[in-house]
Order: sequence, then C-alpha cells, then structure tokens
Amino acid sequence: MSTAPATGDLPYVDTKPQGSADFYFATNATFRFLLRRLGREGWIGYLQELGRGYFAPVNERWRTGGLPAVARYWRAFFAAEPGAEVEVRELPDRVEVCVRQCPAIRHLRAGRREIVREYCQHCYHLGAARAEAAGLTMRLQGGNGTCRHTFAAATTVLPPQAMADIAEATS
Amino acid sequence: MIGCYDFCGHYEWTFGWLERVGGHGLVRDYWNEAINHDSQRHARDLIRNEGIPGMLKYWGHTLLEESPDLGFHISHRADVFRIDFHDCPSRGFLLRNGLNHYRDYCDHCMGWTGPMLREAGYVIDHEHNHRGQCWWEMRPASATGGHAAPGSVAGDKDVRLRPDWPLDPARLDRYCKANDPDAKLP
Repeated sequence: MSTAPATGDLPYVDTKPQGSADFYFATNATFRFLLRRLGREGWIGYLQELGRGYFAPVNERWRTGGLPAVARYWRAFFAAEPGAEVEVRELPDRVEVCVRQCPAIRHLRAGRREIVREYCQHCYHLGAARAEAAGLTMRLQGGNGTCRHTFAAATTVLPPQAMADIAEATS
Repeated sequence: MIGCYDFCGHYEWTFGWLERVGGHGLVRDYWNEAINHDSQRHARDLIRNEGIPGMLKYWGHTLLEESPDLGFHISHRADVFRIDFHDCPSRGFLLRNGLNHYRDYCDHCMGWTGPMLREAGYVIDHEHNHRGQCWWEMRPASATGGHAAPGSVAGDKDVRLRPDWPLDPARLDRYCKANDPDAKLP
C-alpha cells in the first residue's frame, strides 16, 4: 500500500502524501522515556489518554460510521506510512488489519535502534482505548513486525485479549 | 498504531500531557533525554564529530524530507550555520489542522537542539513568530554580541525581510547566544 492516502478519511492532513519515517525514532524514544520515568502504568495511561483525546475525531467517525469507517481509516492510515505492507479485510462482524510489514519496526531496525520491547503493546493499549470510545472492541495478535488488529462491535464475542498474544519487539 | 504521517500532532499533544502529569521540568527532560539523547542521536553524533559540516548534513537531509516544498533556506560559512524557515512543516501542520494542546510548540526546537549544540560547543541565536516562520544561527560557543543584521548571513532569504515579519519584538520569542529553552529574552 504505497499510494497517496485518501486524506478525507484521516482526521489530520499534511501537504505531503507520506510521513517521514525518522519520526518512528521519536516514538520509540518517547516510549522508552515514559517507561523509565513513569513506569508501565504511566505509559499505558499516556496511550489511553492519547487514544481518547488526540484521536477523538477518529473515534467519533468510527462511532457514527461503524466498521466501514474503521476500514476506510486504516487503509488511509497505512497508505501514509512509508514502508507499510498491510491488508484491511472487511468481514461481516469485524475488520481485520493484517500487517505484513510494520513500517515502524522495519525502520527502527534499518536505523539500528534499540526497540523498546513493549513497543507492539502500544497498538493494543492505544487501539483498545480508541475502540472503546467508539463503541467497539479491539484485539491484537502477533507483533514484532507482523500482526493482526481486529475491530468489532462491542457486542461481538471475541476471546479476551491475552497480553501473551502480543510479541515482544526485538531490534 | 502511532504513525509518522501526523507525527507533529501527537508530538505536540504529548508536550501538553507531560506538563499536566509532571510539570515543565518533565517536558524539558523529555526534549533533552528522549529527543536529543535518544531519537536524534544521529544528529548529535554528526554535529559533535563534524561541527558545521555535520549540521549541513543533518538539517540538509531532514528538512528536505520533512519539507520537500522547500519552505526553508540554509546558509553556512566557516563560523555560522543558519536556517530560515518561511513555512515550517511542523508548525504549519498544527496550524492547518487547528491543533493546540501546548502553550508554545515552537519551544521544542530549542528544547532539544539547545542542549545538543551546547554539548557540541555551539550557541544559538533564534527568533520565532509562532506562525511558522523563524530563523536560527549556530556559532561556536566563544561567539559574543547580539543578533547579526537582517540579510547579513542569508541575503534576501532572511525571514526577517518578509513583509509579514513582526517589527514589534514583543510578538516574537527571542534568544541570543543561548542553549536553554527557558532563556528567552525579556
């Protein structure tokens, strides 16, 4: 997915089609700083507040637009992330975001950065907070470069999230 | 997932969150520890090892990637490295999208580059107008005196020659031979 994003499906729009991958260095460094200074619970709290606050416009679109809006968002999102290889599947009761190549993990490795081992958990803590705000539920399986995000209506019965199902990131 | 496309948006949101949780000191520590010493360590290494040529390599690459429309201009001599931002890609993103969770997003640049350049032996002259225009001059730490005259380093690319550049210093945040984000001139 390397075409220009459908920016109408993104809440915040830039003038260039894709972001600068070096910013993944800053996200990884931010996680390291927060984990060191505020601990795991502080880091999770940051992600949850980010999900409910900064991403509020997305959450509202998901709340009103349902799963089709979720699918449109993730297609637009990953089209704007350099190096992403992602398939977004729309199933009757859920949307699956199948990440074949995580652009962040890829670039952090290419840049020889020490990746925070909890890195992949951020997608769950952030995504679950966003989903809950939108009346949805979210699960994450995999990590360390390839993973699957599942978004479904809150009434859909999904197995509980096991944190062991989220792989530790390695450099 | 936290993406890089809208990085400046969640980066700015993070400043506000850090200040609420841990006060101004935590924001300062974040800029220095997470950005200067971790995220941007490639910039630190280049500039500490190569000085002004290293600045040219770092900012020449990163600004072209962030601002392919060339909303900036770089000037350099043996004794000074200067950047004029006519359309800051980072501040511009926030303005265009109406994002404002921290009192002065522009402070983050001095927040991480100030300590980085101090460690490399340089001081900074700088002004920003909060609207996406600013200028920077980096000189060896032995430099003295006030700001260089408009146009004396960057010629007609000097952002201070723009018709919309504020003439009233009170509308600018200003630094002189500084390295600390809190060392704004009164």
